[in-house]
Amino acid sequence: MITAFAFYAFAAVLIASAAMVVTSRNPVHSVLFLILAFFNAAALFLIAGAEFLAMILVIVYVGAVAVLFLFVVMMLDVDFTRMREGFQRYAPLGAVVGAILFLELAFVIGAWTFAGDAEELRLSPMPAGGVSNAEAIGRILYTDYVYLFQAAGLVLLVAMIGAIVLTLRERPGTRRQDIAAQIGRAGTVNLRAVPSGAGLASLGIERPPSPEEERRPAPVAVGHDGHGGGHH
Amino acid sequence: MGTAGATTDMTIGLSHYLTVGAILLVLGILGIFLNRKNVIVILMSVELILLSVNLNFVAFSAALGDLAGQVFAMFVLTVAAAEAAIGLAIVVVYFRNTGSIEVEDISTLRG
Amino acid sequence: MSWTLALPEIVLAVAGLAILAGGVLPKRDTFFPASMAVVGALLLTAVLVIGQEEGTAFGGQYVSDSFSSFMKLLTILGGALGLLLALDWNEKEGLGRFEFSVLVLYATLGGMVMVSANDLMTTYLGLELLSLPLYVVAAFNRDDARSSEAGLKYFVLGALASGLLLYGASLIYGFAGSTNFDRLAEALSAGQQASPGLVVGIVFVIAALAFKVSAVPFHMWTPDVYEGAPTPVTAFFAMAPKVAAIALLARVLLGPFGDVAAQWQQIMLLVSMGSMVLGAFAAIGQRNIKRLMAYSSIGHVGYALMGVAVASDEGLRGLLVYMAIYILMNVGTFAVIVAMRRGGRAVEQVDDLAGLGRTDPGTAMWMAVFMFSMAGIPPLAGFFGKLYVFLAAVQGGFWVLATVGVLTSVVSAYYYLRIVKVMYFDQGVGALDRAPASLSVVMAGTGLFNLLFILWPAPILAAAGAAAAALLA
Repeated sequence: MITAFAFYAFAAVLIASAAMVVTSRNPVHSVLFLILAFFNAAALFLIAGAEFLAMILVIVYVGAVAVLFLFVVMMLDVDFTRMREGFQRYAPLGAVVGAILFLELAFVIGAWTFAGDAEELRLSPMPAGGVSNAEAIGRILYTDYVYLFQAAGLVLLVAMIGAIVLTLRERPGTRRQDIAAQIGRAGTVNLRAVPSGAGLASLGIERPPSPEEERRPAPVAVGHDGHGGGHH
Repeated sequence: MGTAGATTDMTIGLSHYLTVGAILLVLGILGIFLNRKNVIVILMSVELILLSVNLNFVAFSAALGDLAGQVFAMFVLTVAAAEAAIGLAIVVVYFRNTGSIEVEDISTLRG
Repeated sequence: MSWTLALPEIVLAVAGLAILAGGVLPKRDTFFPASMAVVGALLLTAVLVIGQEEGTAFGGQYVSDSFSSFMKLLTILGGALGLLLALDWNEKEGLGRFEFSVLVLYATLGGMVMVSANDLMTTYLGLELLSLPLYVVAAFNRDDARSSEAGLKYFVLGALASGLLLYGASLIYGFAGSTNFDRLAEALSAGQQASPGLVVGIVFVIAALAFKVSAVPFHMWTPDVYEGAPTPVTAFFAMAPKVAAIALLARVLLGPFGDVAAQWQQIMLLVSMGSMVLGAFAAIGQRNIKRLMAYSSIGHVGYALMGVAVASDEGLRGLLVYMAIYILMNVGTFAVIVAMRRGGRAVEQVDDLAGLGRTDPGTAMWMAVFMFSMAGIPPLAGFFGKLYVFLAAVQGGFWVLATVGVLTSVVSAYYYLRIVKVMYFDQGVGALDRAPASLSVVMAGTGLFNLLFILWPAPILAAAGAAAAALLA
């Protein structure tokens, strides 16, 4: 009974927030409603016994994808007041089309039948007794599904290459870390015997040589200024 | 099969999940076709469609007592994250070129 | 589990990683060496595909048979030739970044995974591994508004299509309890009533794949994306993804869903006829040659899908022969289009070809060969492609389909021949730049294939026959 109540509560919030994603005027609100929708979908996954997926949904989606959306929405300087003007014009037609599509799907769902031998055709039946959902998925993901697992990895790699190649720009004036030059600097690390009892007051503050000065012999340096403060 | 047994005892079953999934699918499709102003909302509608698919997979997985559905849903999540990254990158590039993300502006290539 | 069966895919994936690492490290531009390395890796993969054994691996997720080998070779051919077309063009347009060749490599790999898919999950991951790089390369000219618009349009509609594919896959999984094609065939073969859920699932999957091959009524994106994307990318769009998606469509429909053909055959007939008619009539008014090629490719997909719609051994063989010939006509035509430059700037109007017959007789001759071949005029290769699918339709008793096919190819001959007329009989505004050597080689190679196919058709016909037999066994 409590499950039924929880299901209806989460499902109602899920559908309401999904509707708000599509209809709200401000894209930032859309993203926030999308996050709410993901949380409620995760709860529905939990009720269906898919604990691992529920956690993945929260971590990957709310933690990464939704934040990415939020980041882009805020980064693009969009004039939000002009948004959504055309929506109302098409809304009644859309509602009718949507209702028809939904009724068709509802008919399909209402008359749902499984294939007679669906039980025998299962590829990865859930293991019986005492195996947690995450462990059960882990057992098959890296064995039976290793081919697809690797393919999914390649999909992510391609997405990474694509996102970098499309958006990374190297402007001429940009200061970037030059690791080779950084390591190749001379005179940045010195070991000096410091007379005991001497302090800042007697030795003075030592600074690393600036790149221009490096051609000359390094000045007296005490301590570990190898991290090269300030110049990079 | 523990999950399937547990859900059949209560009033919540496969058809409830499928109905929620169908509603999400319809909302996502409407979001794509009705939205005339903002491409980012279209990308979010795609995420809604994929969420509805995942609900379907999880529901069938529980009803059949088969883990393959959950594995499929996991791959869908993975790919959806990759797709979102690419989609947003393209939106950023498009915005840099045109200064706009309105759907109605995406029509210089028509005719 | 014999993972060595998937050796071509594994080798290609690892080679891609190596090329990626090798391209990142040097400070200078590495587009040319990276592209050559990718072409080399694709050739190596092709050799491995030829030597591939038959069988299934990874618990039935991966299948290798003569059908998959045939289509994989076509996919690899499309990828390698597409990259060759890009060599010169990308350098001239300032797009010479090595990531391009790596993305083409992974798109080709995605196509190969699709062709070898024996499971809905493999299908989906292969499709995405193919599609994601394509979204990126469509927008690759990131400072050009048209290119980024093409990428955006393709992405939005492509993401919707894969969403629909997944919804269909979830319904099919729910009905049969499995995503494996062999088990789906088992679930459907038991003489069962096809449930409405299953039929809706199949329709969703067909719709998504029809989008990927740009068949009517899911073709709307094609002309815009073909026009906006960089020209070599357009050439690539017209080859590797089409081959892979058509192979998948044939495998899904004739394999696991072969027993419920009555449920999808009418849809495929309509899709095929609609594509042929639209490809023939919408291209007539086009002035931009890339848009024209977009409509032309829609028409060609219509002819190829005839082979699926008739659902017979002959039909499938016709489809395979058609795809092989289509790739080689198409890459040649695009080699000419990529070479179209005047004063260093790329031009893409049909009228820019005017006078080419006098200023550059070699290029004009090859273009004429490709146009005659596309129009299906004997004795060129394109004629035989059409011949086999029409014969299959007639043998299957699909008279209406065959008639529509013949009529539309007569109509489409008009605009192909118009290009020939423009090249030889119109006054040009000025000579085009000389075609670079890499493009001339591609033109000559594919042109000779189109001319000489009639003398030596046996290898392709035999390979296609064996491949068709493997799928329908």
